[in-house]
Amino acid sequence: MNAAIAGIGATEFSKDSGRSELRLAVEAVRAALDDAGLRASDVDGLTTFSMDDNAEIAVAREIGAGELTFLSRIGYGGGAACAIVQQAVLAVTAGVAETVVCYRALNERSGRRFGQAGVPPGLDASWHYPMGLATPAAQVAMVAQRYLHDYGATTDDFGRVTVAARRHAATNPAAWFFGRPITLDDHRASRWIAEPLRLLDCCQESDGAVALVVTSAERARDLRRPPAVVRAAAQGSGPDQFVMTSYYREEVAALPEMGVVARQLWGRSGFRPADVRAAVLYDHFTPYVLMQLEELGFCGRGEGRHVVTEERLPINPHGGQLGEAYIHGMNGIAEAVRQVRGTAVNQVPGDGPVLVTAGTGVPTSGLILSGA
Amino acid sequence: MSEVTETIEAAGRRIAEAGLSAARPARDPVNRPAIRDWLAAIGDDNPRYEREGLAPPAMVQVWTMRGLRPSAPDDADPLRVMSDVLDEAGFTSVVATDCAQTYHRYLREGETVAVRSRLTGVAGPKRTALGEGWFVTTASTWEVDGEPVAEMRFRVLKYRPGATAPARADPIRPVTGPDSAFFWAGVDAGELRIQRCGKCGALRHPPGPGCPACGAFTPEYVVAAGTGTVHSYVVHHHPPLPGRRSPVTVALVDLDEGVRMVGELRGTRPAIGDRVQVTFADGLPVWRPAGIELPRWDLAVTPTVIISSALATRDFQDVHHDRDAAVRRGSRDIFLNILATTGFVQRYVTDWAGPAAVLRGIEIRLGAPCHPGDTLTFTGYAHGDEVAVAGRTATGEHVSGTVRVTS
Repeated sequence: MNAAIAGIGATEFSKDSGRSELRLAVEAVRAALDDAGLRASDVDGLTTFSMDDNAEIAVAREIGAGELTFLSRIGYGGGAACAIVQQAVLAVTAGVAETVVCYRALNERSGRRFGQAGVPPGLDASWHYPMGLATPAAQVAMVAQRYLHDYGATTDDFGRVTVAARRHAATNPAAWFFGRPITLDDHRASRWIAEPLRLLDCCQESDGAVALVVTSAERARDLRRPPAVVRAAAQGSGPDQFVMTSYYREEVAALPEMGVVARQLWGRSGFRPADVRAAVLYDHFTPYVLMQLEELGFCGRGEGRHVVTEERLPINPHGGQLGEAYIHGMNGIAEAVRQVRGTAVNQVPGDGPVLVTAGTGVPTSGLILSGA
Repeated sequence: MSEVTETIEAAGRRIAEAGLSAARPARDPVNRPAIRDWLAAIGDDNPRYEREGLAPPAMVQVWTMRGLRPSAPDDADPLRVMSDVLDEAGFTSVVATDCAQTYHRYLREGETVAVRSRLTGVAGPKRTALGEGWFVTTASTWEVDGEPVAEMRFRVLKYRPGATAPARADPIRPVTGPDSAFFWAGVDAGELRIQRCGKCGALRHPPGPGCPACGAFTPEYVVAAGTGTVHSYVVHHHPPLPGRRSPVTVALVDLDEGVRMVGELRGTRPAIGDRVQVTFADGLPVWRPAGIELPRWDLAVTPTVIISSALATRDFQDVHHDRDAAVRRGSRDIFLNILATTGFVQRYVTDWAGPAAVLRGIEIRLGAPCHPGDTLTFTGYAHGDEVAVAGRTATGEHVSGTVRVTS
């Protein structure tokens, strides 16, 4: 594949941005273009999440871009994060656009909070929401409970994911939880949200925006920053897939959609799990970090907790969405780019590839990035 | 944090740190006249109490109630002391919300009980349907000559009358369409329906327009037996669900027919592998522990029922006998007190289980208040040593809980 992420940009991460989501989007896009050394007039493609409330044309107007030849959106919430980069890569390599900006802007704490009980449109929700499964945490908890039962894991194993994330965030000045590490006892003492999940198993709610500039790897090499070459990009949906409630498969305690992504990522990139220097795993809820490790092939089924306790793999060096911010997975892609460049605040040494994943429990996506 | 909140929380900490109170003896020994009045008010014909000289277990709290004109301020009762603090802060109304009693043995006529209590929690300020208030939780032990005979966890809401209550949100309702209408019509008819392909016979849930197995667009349905096994479950605590009281337990059930279905699970703290059976409530399938269904009991709640049971439980709060006072405090009429509700729950279970049954505990939560003119309908399911009981009025669930019983 012949495309790269040439620029990254973000706003501050907060609980109350005090600005419109469109303004956040524009700030992040401008920052990403500056980072790449490109101008707004260079942009000919824009891609974002179906859930993003900022129209591509509004962003284009506000940054002062001219003509666009590629506009694209991907559904399924946070599952879109790496998939919108894949859209950009496909557009660039197909020659339909030269400079595509991927963006996501949300006032998710001061505006519409995803953690509150609400009903999405559509018939699928009627089998779950009226019965009391009306929040993402509760929907994940159903899978988590079965995971504990099937594999003998404990809620402490979930807690260790958060403890690690908060340790990393504690040394990341951009993180909301900068300077605020926690202990396993803090996790144990945090209140139940949806048993078996506690408050500290759930990611934050954040205001902020992230943007990424994608262009050809060849062109990226001539720009301001070292390129993060996209070695593989993949999207995946499993059999009998639902949004957050894929309870009707034989095996409930699994994320086969991430398995679909994993097989493509390893197959296309030629890398293996052992090659990976650092993994940025979508951490909206701690159990899904463990289950992703299993689906991605870092360990066997039910063994994700050992990867975490034995610190076999650097995971979310920026603090993840548990520690840095919840920008729907986009801040994780920016972190992967910094790791490839060697400019991350908690830099993982080495030159191996960096893996990034998008939201799980929904049709999802992933990327493998490395230097030129 | 406001100054009032700080004052209340500081008082709560001080009272909690003081720990277990001194024993407060009952004014009178356990006696037959009081037992007879209580049995009459509750309508409990169980002959065992009089025959064996025993007190009904649900009466335990009655013996240490302070009466209409307490002789001295009860500084030893942490609930009383905490209530005074909240009264002072303007949270002058009270309603009991939870009561979990454990009975080590039944009391005998002539025994004098004493109670010791400690404050275990003060949480607030919370916005509730009644207005802004504080939840106060206490733990009590009743003793006879130092021997513990019963324990109770008790929670009340002390609230500010007349404070603006948040509008009660409507519960989330299912959306139906041509592919799922049969299922919801089934719920209305008291049937749990599973889609079956008219061509290949494959069962599926959730349903759809056709059959993913063979491709036919000939959906039919079968009526499920309504029994299954818990595959997984969730206990939802936060945030609040519209129109519901947390916690809400939701189970993923493997139906015996082979499909899986999500539904609320009531009346038990589940474990994976538990057997459950379906019932229907509020237009939804609701799961219960598999077991014996108790006969339904309709109690016509008259002013006499409310007032006689309040007095027989020695609860002289004006809201249980004085309509004007109840209205002044924001209620539409007088309402049943929690000691009486506990008594009715006891009666419902022993009427079914028979006079030989021994109650080990009653744990209830109160919801919608029960007023004169209401019909309070009790339903129950027995599984093992537990009976899950619910009592509903036209406005909603008045009480839900569990009774532990051995025979």
